[in-house]
Amino acid sequence: MHIPDAFIPIPQGIVYWIIALVFVALALRWAKNEMSDEKIPIVAVLAAGIFALQSFNLPVSMGTSGHLVGGALAAIVLGSPFAAVFIIALVLIVQGVLFGDGGITTMGANIINMGVIGGFIGFYSFKGLMGMTRSMPVSAFLAAWLACLIPALAAAVEMFMAGTFPLEAGLLAMGIYHAIIGIVEGIVTIGVIYLIVNVRPDLVDVGVKRPAGA
Amino acid sequence: MIDNKTFIIGGIVIALLIGVVAVFMASSDPDGLESTALVVQGQKELTGATPENAEIQEDPNGKFSYESPMPDYSLGERFGPLGGMVAIAAGTILALLIVVGAIYSIKIAGKATK
Repeated sequence: MHIPDAFIPIPQGIVYWIIALVFVALALRWAKNEMSDEKIPIVAVLAAGIFALQSFNLPVSMGTSGHLVGGALAAIVLGSPFAAVFIIALVLIVQGVLFGDGGITTMGANIINMGVIGGFIGFYSFKGLMGMTRSMPVSAFLAAWLACLIPALAAAVEMFMAGTFPLEAGLLAMGIYHAIIGIVEGIVTIGVIYLIVNVRPDLVDVGVKRPAGA
Repeated sequence: MIDNKTFIIGGIVIALLIGVVAVFMASSDPDGLESTALVVQGQKELTGATPENAEIQEDPNGKFSYESPMPDYSLGERFGPLGGMVAIAAGTILALLIVVGAIYSIKIAGKATK
């Protein structure tokens, strides 16, 4: 759902950039105050992994492909939505500047959608669902699914305001495609959390313990 | 439990493997946003396959334009899949270095202002 430059007029892109920069500043403050040296290995691996996963377009039927976003994953594993803003914003800069995946003037909108909305929806829905279900897989799956779907709907609204998509058709198509992509996002998010919990349980606190005997 | 060095190396290896697989197995279909653009432009049915000649119509008026050095995670047709692997590997390592570099910069700047 990386929005290219051609999809949003420059003035609107500047507005999204300003909003995004506020959250990026808050994310930098979070990194300064909350990021302990012990967390650096997992942040490093998440940055590399999220970049690689975002470059992998999986077929999702209906003549459409989709890649993972990783906003919920970063927020859940690092215990803060600002972790997602921090990592996704930097990954988007590399993607936009070097690979043309997502535009330059639209990078603010992409940071808002995937980093801010994805991170906050992913983190707080995971927290809420964990409180209700006490099940990491169920909570992580639904949180990651929502963190894929809701940013896509937000992008559809932005496309409507940009005059690029009509509202109803844009919401419908973006919603359907990303509801399917979100299923893959949910499954991979569960898998990565289990993997990290297995090899380095000290690095994450997601309310799930190492499987017995692991 | 594995140590930090093994964890980081293992993580990078997995990320690079995903990148290699992506070069050979990634779908050439448009992504969700591009598919939606084709649907609203009447070039594709909502649930149908994407026609081979489908192309997103862009209005460049009032929009920014930028030519990236490695568009579509590729070094160009001349380098083929190997170029794709190099591009994704470079991006993966760069993303890691920028994120870790940003953290250290913030920490160092924070200590300097104390």
